[in-house]
Amino acid sequence: MQSRFYASLLLISALILLAFVSYAGLRELNPEWKTYQKEYKRLFFNNAVTPDMKKKAAEYTVGIRQIYIKDLNRVDRCDNCHVGVENPLMAKEKVPYRQHSGTYLKDHPVTKFGCTICHLGQGNATNKKEAHAEGHDTYWDYPILPLKHIQSSCTQCHNMDFLSKHGADVIIEGEKLFNEKGCKGCHKLSGNGGVLGKALDGVGSQPIHYFPMRYVEGERTQPSWLKQHFEDPRKVVPESVMKVKLTPEEADKLTTYILSIRTYDPPKIYRRINEEPIVAKDGHALYNMYCVACHEDGKLSAFDENLKGTIPAIENPAFLMNADDRFIEMVVKEGRKGTPMTSWQLSSAGLTDEEIKKIVSYVALQRGHESSKPVSVNLKTGDKDAGKEIFNVRCALCHGEKGQGGLGLNLANQIIKKADDQYLFKTIRDGRATTPMPPFGSTGLGLTDQQIVNVISYIKAF
Amino acid sequence: MSSTGEKTEIGRRDFLGVSAIVAGAIAMLSVVAGALRLTKSNVYYEQSQKFKIGRPENFPAGTKVKLDEKKVFIFSENSGLYAISSICTHLGCIVSQTDSGFLCPCHGSRYDGIGNVVGGPAPRALPWLEISLHEDGNLVVDASKEVKSGTMFLI
Repeated sequence: MQSRFYASLLLISALILLAFVSYAGLRELNPEWKTYQKEYKRLFFNNAVTPDMKKKAAEYTVGIRQIYIKDLNRVDRCDNCHVGVENPLMAKEKVPYRQHSGTYLKDHPVTKFGCTICHLGQGNATNKKEAHAEGHDTYWDYPILPLKHIQSSCTQCHNMDFLSKHGADVIIEGEKLFNEKGCKGCHKLSGNGGVLGKALDGVGSQPIHYFPMRYVEGERTQPSWLKQHFEDPRKVVPESVMKVKLTPEEADKLTTYILSIRTYDPPKIYRRINEEPIVAKDGHALYNMYCVACHEDGKLSAFDENLKGTIPAIENPAFLMNADDRFIEMVVKEGRKGTPMTSWQLSSAGLTDEEIKKIVSYVALQRGHESSKPVSVNLKTGDKDAGKEIFNVRCALCHGEKGQGGLGLNLANQIIKKADDQYLFKTIRDGRATTPMPPFGSTGLGLTDQQIVNVISYIKAF
Repeated sequence: MSSTGEKTEIGRRDFLGVSAIVAGAIAMLSVVAGALRLTKSNVYYEQSQKFKIGRPENFPAGTKVKLDEKKVFIFSENSGLYAISSICTHLGCIVSQTDSGFLCPCHGSRYDGIGNVVGGPAPRALPWLEISLHEDGNLVVDASKEVKSGTMFLI
């Protein structure tokens, strides 16, 4: 009885083993790509017209193939399934049998470029899921690049000037958006730009795990993250203070541009980048590049929920009337400590003195012809303690008890200490039209000139 | 298949045991066969020996081109196209073309116009390589496939 039991046990386990081995063997002998190649052969034969082509189709052998490109350090096996990419007879078939669209392969022969240099994805893989690397459970570093962003690959070898002449409209418009929406106001790229956001150098080459995907809807890939981030920054990164929101079309274009900012440069023999003449940007372009994200058109002073502060209206004539270029230039150069306004000089955000001067002159264009009459302010007569009393009653509500800012601007910083006394005096006396700052002078809320001087003494001592 | 008929010497229990062993043996053999299969690579990490050289109309009769990078000469005559390897069969230097044929700069091997040895240490003629036409209309040279000297590719 016992030996029968053991014999049955042996038989069952042997059969299970045999089943596993047969399954493994069958799977090994019938990979995904074989099905595609067999179908390709059939289509090729059917589409062939001339006897020569019929013969070629009949001679086609099903088997694994690869494109090895030493200079690019790539092994692409995409053509195991995308068999017909170079075959004009397959122009009308469906993917993956179809011929490559356009004339791209004429200038970029597959044997020299492979596939993944432009399309990304996992070149080594021999099945669709791993090659395209899509889906939440694959999580390869570089999933296949969606075709709508494919132009982001062109910049590896071509410069924008060339691309604009060859119909790469998406990335050109993406770059325009990048420059005009003020991205560099917060994000550094190639050494200049603000510091509130992350630097963007090489962001297009960053593998997928650099992007927190928790709140990303749909496909969890770099392009999805970027697009949704541009449409609604706080949906993807809840703590983001980014102000800019784009339409879905704009977001797609900007995503393409951002994805083109890569770290990997192909070898020189591949690159067609000529030195582009560096066109000096004028004040308006520079304002759009660095300032517009926060200050927008500079006309309206508004409290920003995310930055937790009021963004001053720097093109407000009432401000420009009192603030001279020297003061504005100083603010741009040194920034305002305690606020999101960063220091823009060469050693920080990377703008040259010349660029800063251009921005200042652009802002100053809004200054009216009438300039305020000079007043004589003698701070030596100021009484700090008296100033403190007035400040706590009149100013602290908006500017904070220690001048730290709130609805009003932050006053406890170097710039205020360095600011011209006349500028401060006039600002307090006349208020700032179009902002919540009322005139406190004798014609307004009734502070005497001496009281204002007392307040300035107190502010300067913060 | 069990102990029916005259063959009663194989009992039911024996049959179980025998089939178990046979099934096990087949499975193990398949595993060994699969493992042995792994010793042969499908593909190698190396540049493909096949390369495109352009469309036939770029090679009108009378053309003689040396493709330095690919180490091959392409000749076009009225009777057809042919490709001759430029790797000397002696020690692998790259031969140069002369009026009468090819000359290897390293040890002076001399070949005639169609690659046959006429002097020097070269042990055999320069190989002729296979030319074919790709579906996309480009000519393809396969440096891994030698053809008989005098084989012309007709356009």
